[in-house]
Amino acid sequence: MALARPRVADFRERAAEEVSRWAALRATVGRKPLGIASAGLIAVLVLTALFAEALAPYDPLAAQPEIRLAPPSWAHPFGTDDIGRDVLSRIIYGSRISLWVGLLAVGIGTFAGMIVGLASGYCEGRVDLVLQRVMDAVQAIPGLILALAIVSVLTPSTTNAMLAIAVVIIPGNSRIVRGAVLSAKQNRYVEAAQAIGCRHPRIVASHILPNVTAPILIIASIWLGNAILIEASLSFLGLGTQPPTPSWGLMLSSTGRAFMEQAPWLAIFPGLAISLAVLGFNLFGDTLRDAWDPRLRRDG
Amino acid sequence: MYKYILRRLLLAVPVLVLSSLIVFGLMRVMPGDALTALMAESGNVSEKDLAKLRRDLGLDRPYYEQYGIWVWQMVSLNPGYSIFTNEPIAEALGKAIPVTVELAVLALIFGLVIAIPIGVLSATRQDTASDYAGRLVATSGLSLPDFWLGTLVITFAAIWFGWIPRLGYVSLWESPARNLQQFVLPAAVLGFRLSAATMRMTRSTVLEVLREDYVRTAWAKGLGERIIIYKHALKNALIPVVTLVGGQLGTLLAGTVIVETIFALPGMGRLTVEAILFRDYPVVQTNVMLVAGALVGLNLLVDLTYAWLDPRIRYQ
Repeated sequence: MALARPRVADFRERAAEEVSRWAALRATVGRKPLGIASAGLIAVLVLTALFAEALAPYDPLAAQPEIRLAPPSWAHPFGTDDIGRDVLSRIIYGSRISLWVGLLAVGIGTFAGMIVGLASGYCEGRVDLVLQRVMDAVQAIPGLILALAIVSVLTPSTTNAMLAIAVVIIPGNSRIVRGAVLSAKQNRYVEAAQAIGCRHPRIVASHILPNVTAPILIIASIWLGNAILIEASLSFLGLGTQPPTPSWGLMLSSTGRAFMEQAPWLAIFPGLAISLAVLGFNLFGDTLRDAWDPRLRRDG
Repeated sequence: MYKYILRRLLLAVPVLVLSSLIVFGLMRVMPGDALTALMAESGNVSEKDLAKLRRDLGLDRPYYEQYGIWVWQMVSLNPGYSIFTNEPIAEALGKAIPVTVELAVLALIFGLVIAIPIGVLSATRQDTASDYAGRLVATSGLSLPDFWLGTLVITFAAIWFGWIPRLGYVSLWESPARNLQQFVLPAAVLGFRLSAATMRMTRSTVLEVLREDYVRTAWAKGLGERIIIYKHALKNALIPVVTLVGGQLGTLLAGTVIVETIFALPGMGRLTVEAILFRDYPVVQTNVMLVAGALVGLNLLVDLTYAWLDPRIRYQ
C-alpha cells in the first residue's frame, strides 16, 4: 500500500500534465496565426510525401527530351528540366526524401542525445565530465563540415547523409537533456523515490524522463527544419542523395544552377519547397516553445 | 581573472585533443584506406607505385604513430602535402584563409548591422505590424537556404540587370574596389542568414530587459524612450547577444563552405569541399581540424570577453 500511493499520485500528476500540455499547445496555435500556418505547412508536406503517387501528374524519372527546359505551363506548372522531366512531379517525390531524412536523422540523433544526456545528468561526476568533453569535441566542428567529413568517408548517399546529420544533432540534444535531468533531480519526489529504494532505471524512466519530454520535443521540432536544410546542402554539394533520385537540394545544384539564366524555374521551385518546409518546422518549433516554455510566454 | 583564463585554457586542451582524435579516426574508418579508394577511381596505378605512395605518406605505420606525426605537423604549422596537387597544404591554406576571413568578417558586419536595429525595433513595438514584419524577416533568414538565396541573387542580377559578378578572385591589396565588388553579394547572403538568430535574440533580450525594475525607474524619472532604450536597456541586452554571435561562428564558417562554392571564391570552404570530393584526406583532416581549432579559440575569446563584461561569471 505504501508503494501504491505515490504511484497513483504520480500517474494523476502526469496525466494532468499531458492534458495541460496539449491544451497549452492548442491555445497557442489558436492564438497565434503563425502557429496555424506552420501546422498547415507541415500537414501539406506530410500529405504530399504520403500520397506522392496520386498527386504527381507525371513519372518523376520519365524523360521527354522533346520538351526539355519548357517554361511553366498548364501541362507542366513548374516547367520541365534539361531532359524534359516534370519539375512539379520531381518536387512532389522529393518531399519524401526530405521528410524521410529529416525524421530519421532527428529520431536517431534525438534518441542518442537523450541517452547521453540522461547518463550525463543522472550519473554526474566522471561519467558526466567525460561524456560532455566528448560532446564538446564533436560540437567544436561546425555541423555542416562534420556532416561533409562523415559523408566523404562513408561515400555519398541518402542514408549516409542521414547518419551524418544524426551525429551532428547528438551533442546539442544531449546538453539540453542533461540540463533538464539535472533540474528534475532536484525534485523532492526523486529524492523520495531514492529514499524508498527505487532502482535507478525506474527512477529515470518514471520520474526523470517525463520531465525531459517537453524540451526534447521542442528541440526535435526545431532540428527537423535544420536536418532538411543540411540534407539539401549536402545534396547541393553533391554529397547527399545521388541522381536520378529527386531530391530538392540536388535538383537545385544539378540543373538549377547549370541552366539558371535560361530556365530560372529550375532553381526557383526546389528552393521554394526547401524554404517552405524548413519555415514550417521552424515556426512550429517556436509555437511549441511558446506553449510549453513558460519563461518565453508573454503572459506567463 | 587570471585564474579564470587559466581554467578556461586548460578546459580547451582536452576538447582540442578529442576533436583531433575524432577527425583523425574519421579519416581512418574509410573502408580500405584513402589511397586504395583514390586509386580505384583513377585506375591505372601499379601495386608497386601504390606501396611507395603509401610509404611516402606514412600510411604503412601504426595508427598511433600516424596520429603523432600528424599532430606534430599541425603544431609545427607544416601539415604535409595534398595528394592531388602535390602542393604543400600550408601554401594552399595561406591563399585560402584570407579569403574566408574577409568573407566571414564582412558577413558578420553585415549581419549585425541588419540584426540589432531590427531586433530593437521589434521589441519596442511588440505585437505590432513592424514586430511581425521583423520576425518574419528573421524566420525567413533561418529558413531560406543560403545556396538558394545565392543562386537566386546571381540569377536575377544577371536577368534583370545584366550584371554577372566577375569570377576570378582579386585580393583586397591588389584592387580594393574589385575585391569588394566580388565580396558584397556573398557577404550579404551569408550575413542575412546570420542576422536571423541575432535579431531574434536581440528582440527577446531587449524585451526581457525592458521589464526590469531599473528600466521602470528610468521611465518613472521621466526619461525619454530613446535614452531608456539605447542607453539603459541595450547595453545590458547586448551581453547575451555577444555570446550568441560567438556561438554562431560555427554557422558562419559552415556557411562560407556553401557561399564560396556558389560565388567561386577560392577560400577554405571551397578548398575543403574539393578535397572531400577528390578524397584528398590530408587536406580534409587539416582543414576540418583547423576550423575546429579556430572555433575553440574564438569561443574562448568570446567567453573571456563575456567574463570581462560581466564579472559575476568568473566566480561561478
